[in-house]
Amino acid sequence: MRAKPGDELQIWPPWAERARLFIEALPVRAEEDLRAADYPGVDRVWLLALFRSPRNGVGKAREDLRARGATAGERVRFGSLELEPWELHAPKLLVDLTAAREEHEVDYVSRPCVLVRLPGRFSARGPGGALHVRAGIVGERAYQTSQGPVRVEVRADGALLGDLTVPPTVPPAPGWRKLDLPVPPGDHLYEIAATSRDTDRPFCVAAWVSEG
Amino acid sequence: MSRRLPLAVACAVFVALFATAAPVGFVRDEGYYFEAAKSYEQWLVLLVRDPFAAIRATERYWSYNFEHPGLAKLLFAISHLLFTSTLRFLPDAQSWRLPGFFFGALLAYWLAVLGGQRSRACALLAPALFFCAERTFFHGHLAALDIPICALTAGVGVAWARAIGLLPGSASPLRGGLWLAFVYGCSLAVKHNAWVLPPVLAVHALLLPAASRRRALLALPWFLLSPLILFAAWPLLWHDPVKHLGDWIAFHTHHVHYAWYYFGRELRAPPFPVLYPLAVLAVALPLPQVTLGAAAGLRLLWDFSRRRLGDLRLLELGLAGGALLPFLLGTTPIFGGIKHWLAFVALLMPEAAALLEETIGIATGAFPWLTRSRALAAGALAALLPGLWQIAHLHPYGTSAYGELAGDLPGAASLGMQRQYWSNNVTSVLPWLNAHAIRGARVFFHEVNAESYRAYQQSGALRDDIRYASGPWDADYAALQWHREFRDREPETWNAFGTRMPATGLYLDEVPQVVVYARPGLPGAP
Repeated sequence: MRAKPGDELQIWPPWAERARLFIEALPVRAEEDLRAADYPGVDRVWLLALFRSPRNGVGKAREDLRARGATAGERVRFGSLELEPWELHAPKLLVDLTAAREEHEVDYVSRPCVLVRLPGRFSARGPGGALHVRAGIVGERAYQTSQGPVRVEVRADGALLGDLTVPPTVPPAPGWRKLDLPVPPGDHLYEIAATSRDTDRPFCVAAWVSEG
Repeated sequence: MSRRLPLAVACAVFVALFATAAPVGFVRDEGYYFEAAKSYEQWLVLLVRDPFAAIRATERYWSYNFEHPGLAKLLFAISHLLFTSTLRFLPDAQSWRLPGFFFGALLAYWLAVLGGQRSRACALLAPALFFCAERTFFHGHLAALDIPICALTAGVGVAWARAIGLLPGSASPLRGGLWLAFVYGCSLAVKHNAWVLPPVLAVHALLLPAASRRRALLALPWFLLSPLILFAAWPLLWHDPVKHLGDWIAFHTHHVHYAWYYFGRELRAPPFPVLYPLAVLAVALPLPQVTLGAAAGLRLLWDFSRRRLGDLRLLELGLAGGALLPFLLGTTPIFGGIKHWLAFVALLMPEAAALLEETIGIATGAFPWLTRSRALAAGALAALLPGLWQIAHLHPYGTSAYGELAGDLPGAASLGMQRQYWSNNVTSVLPWLNAHAIRGARVFFHEVNAESYRAYQQSGALRDDIRYASGPWDADYAALQWHREFRDREPETWNAFGTRMPATGLYLDEVPQVVVYARPGLPGAP
């Protein structure tokens, strides 16, 4: 078994980040909800688990991967580590509109996304398909309930496709909000604009288009 | 029972704490108390040279850390003045911490006195059960206020019991009353947890049988003398006492709530879960202490409900309950792990020791070779071994310790419990920084405050040339302490440094505690 482009490594439990000291070949992810996590552009996830650790929950992690349609490959064990490849069978990524090189924390998980200064907007060209927009307030300021929500408007070629409201996070409601929209085929100019009455919070957006 | 056994136990605890303190990092609170002790030491020197000038200048030297009374910090300052500044006998941190060890020993002494009312075995087991857990053992090392107030809560209990005749003591009510006023005054002059003690003791007095009740009620007025100790040990009150008392009280009645990670939830504001303190104890302490402590509390409550509780056990129940009750209200700040209700644990330990001894008694004679002394030794070892292992395995990282019910550290991490608090675990990576950091390197120490950073340099644990950076963007190296509420700091460091690969870190049973990043190309970078 060898890693290939389009592979990422998911550690389990998500706190097992010591792996970052040793894993050079693949991006390391520490998603906490494997059923709902986004892996844009990722064909295969290697689940690296501390399977002997108390309360490791690796069985639940596998269930969640199965629930999203992923299929497991051969599982191998090295001491207290277990490595298992999972084909995600996810729709093919057509374009990453934000192409984030940075990561920011929302809901305590590091997210590849771009910071948008409020009020702010960005635009990018891309094909039609399934448009995925993710947005959230970064860090602890997401939990300041006295602050107003952030409104995100998504347009294609000037026409409003949809909008997303990101309120201050009150768990268990998520702070990393999702919007998935179908977009007709053809080349489009996508515009994403974020506004809020309270502008002094770091706000992060990720957007990509996959096959429908 | 003579005082020799409690004294021997106290000495053993003092020696154990003294001998194992060196690797314990400086917790955030200590950073402030060290600074306070430095300021108070300067005032003491001035007091010797020019008493009137010192009395005039109390505001200047004592305003720092106005939110806590003076006694413990004054003792830290006296200890440093004597053992470091004058005799040059101890390193700075050890002399500041010396009074902390002394309070740890006092706690052991008073627990042994209370346990000794049951048996000699209980006199040994009560303090042993308390200290044989990494969390409690760790707190015994600090120049902080938590073990001192825990000790003085037990001390007030013993002084009260002597004053009202529950324990043998001075035949003179005057001496007993004065001692009670003095010990309570000391507790008042250490930490505000002492505020709850007079109501607890008043209730205890009212619940006593008629014969003892009168004597107990007559002992209560002695507490009126205790504020004199508070006043004497806290020179800040010597000028404008009403304002300073008001500031002290207001600080704690309007205390901020720090985020705290608890079973997967980040607790930020009231209402907090009612059972929070008990749940944290259950997962943080070793299983024998949890089991025996829970059984002790339930038996005391059961016997109380059946009116079978002796006067001294009623006192222990009251003091334990009084230490816990504020944190069951759902509105009191809950941060800090178990440190704020250590007296709850301590005051249950004499009963826990009795339960252990009774359980061992049942096993005695099950085999011909299992004599009482052998059974006691084996039972005590079985009860204390998990905690001793925890200490051997985790010390000096006491705030990270979790017990068997949590599944130790990995289980607690999976449960979503606070990984650590303060920042003392950073000591684990200081040798690495000293060995690798470039000359004059700027290091982002995250939760290590500037006061603790200076203390590390002063103690020689950190190179003098290493500078304190205000954030990862400003740093060559970053030493991040894992806290759920500060998870944004790690991606922020990745973005600033352009790498996601740590250089080193402290991982306890694989669980990240401190993660160090270095800018690519610098010594030590991966």
